[in-house]
Amino acid sequence: MNNLWILNMGFVALLIGTGIYCLLTMRNTVRLLIGVEIIAKGVTLALVASGAARGSLMLAQSLAITVIVVDVAVIATALALIININRHTKSLDVRKLTRLKG
Amino acid sequence: MLHLLLLIGLVAFSILAVLSRDLLKSAISLAVASVFLAVIFFRMNAVYAGVFEVSVVAGLITVLFITAIALTRQDSDVAESRRRLVVFPLFFLALALIDVLVMKELLGRIPAMVNPESGTFSQVLWNQRTFDLVGQIGVIFAGVLAVLALFREDGKPHGDAPKEADHE
Repeated sequence: MNNLWILNMGFVALLIGTGIYCLLTMRNTVRLLIGVEIIAKGVTLALVASGAARGSLMLAQSLAITVIVVDVAVIATALALIININRHTKSLDVRKLTRLKG
Repeated sequence: MLHLLLLIGLVAFSILAVLSRDLLKSAISLAVASVFLAVIFFRMNAVYAGVFEVSVVAGLITVLFITAIALTRQDSDVAESRRRLVVFPLFFLALALIDVLVMKELLGRIPAMVNPESGTFSQVLWNQRTFDLVGQIGVIFAGVLAVLALFREDGKPHGDAPKEADHE
């Protein structure tokens, strides 16, 4: 069980690393949200794997569901923002969002 | 072994979602990664998390992504950095190497964590996490209100770029 937890955590680190790479290097706003989504997947996996290893799977699942619900609200709001920004700038490029630049 | 393959599939489809040129393919890769994650949850006996992962993340979020991509389709061609196909494999290899070294060090050091809990899922959710549920309902309402506020009709026609009043 302990080794399985370490294996899971290794892949959680890979998932979160991939998501952070996406957030740091990509320029398409929708793709940035995909990065956020990948990080959320890593966090959910970490919660459930830790719960399974510790024997408190039910508590871990309830926390994972909380993460998923918050994630949905964040993604819905962010996609609405992206669509509105796209109407103004006619682009999905994050570098075009310079209207607040001093 | 099957668990390892599922984890590899999860990471592989996540990477495909990041690197794919077409946004639609990225969204579908993300959904496939969610299905892999849900199967992992089912194999861990985390049935409720698995059902949520399939229905909400693989279903609802994918629909939201595809809707947003369809609405912004004409402007979706953003020039990404050309070096990403070189930089990402290097980054990923370094990350995997560090990951393997750290996890190998941890292998014998963490004691087995066994602390069995009692009660069913609904007991834990409704009795222990009651306050979280109130917060979740608040988050859902905040999300709905935010989307409504962002899409409200203000009488002005959409699609027009705002007039530039400031001096460049």
